Amino acid sequence: MTKNNNSALIRRDNNSLARRIDPTEKRVTPAADVFETPEAFVLRVDMPGVDRDSIRVTADSARLEISGKAGTLHADTANVLFTEIVKKSYYRVFNLTSGLAADRVEAEFENGVLIVVIPKSEQRKTKTIPIR
Amino acid sequence: MALIRWNPARESSNLPSELWNIERDFNRLFEGFFRGGMQDDGSFGLSVWSPAVDIAEKENEYVVKAELPGVNKEDVKITLESNILTIRGEKRQEKDVKEDDYRRMERMYGSFQRSFTLPTTVKSDSIDASYKDGILTVTMPKAEEAKPKHIEVKVK
Repeated sequence: MTKNNNSALIRRDNNSLARRIDPTEKRVTPAADVFETPEAFVLRVDMPGVDRDSIRVTADSARLEISGKAGTLHADTANVLFTEIVKKSYYRVFNLTSGLAADRVEAEFENGVLIVVIPKSEQRKTKTIPIR
Repeated sequence: MALIRWNPARESSNLPSELWNIERDFNRLFEGFFRGGMQDDGSFGLSVWSPAVDIAEKENEYVVKAELPGVNKEDVKITLESNILTIRGEKRQEKDVKEDDYRRMERMYGSFQRSFTLPTTVKSDSIDASYKDGILTVTMPKAEEAKPKHIEVKVK
């Protein structure tokens, strides 16, 4: 009985160590589409399987930083037969040009895609000039 | 500007995993080159891109997960034919954006297809599929005869 308890303790310790360092977690640059509208720049970033709570979007006048962690896919009891989806940590930085309002950036996460809208400042907006 | 294939492995600084990634990316390169090529069941699939898939086995069911970010549920078709599971569909480009307005296009679009031969028979009428946060999860309960049976061995 005592022998079983010891091995369980060791197993638990090993697990917690692994969780802290987690060499299996891989830093990945997510694919992003960028398009421009008259009022803003819009980013669509593929981040499937990411925990909503782990998503961080920070912006200042020079750069936009996006990060998120894709959590564990399988239950501990499952036997994984075939795996291509690695446990990963998404991270990407976009350098922002001038004339973008970093303080009015909006982001939403839908169907595994992070959509970030970076509005242009008044001067940067495309204005259609009427011909007299 | 030269078009280079987007490679997430390039960003990682972990040397051993990078070597492992090179092999995987090599395979992916050939996969894309033959436009889908040979699927696991031996058939040829027509696909533009290939979603990453995981298959796990639990005691009474199989769970297949596929990375399908930005795909509409209506555009995914799951079929099971004599133990071969096929996940196919299309990732559509958002219609509200004109091609001229794109400044960068890295995400993969178009049709995809993956097929897998399952090790044992499954109950085809109780397959469940759900889609959340870009991950498609297909759960297939094993058929009665395929479930592991616990045999008690009495020692005389």
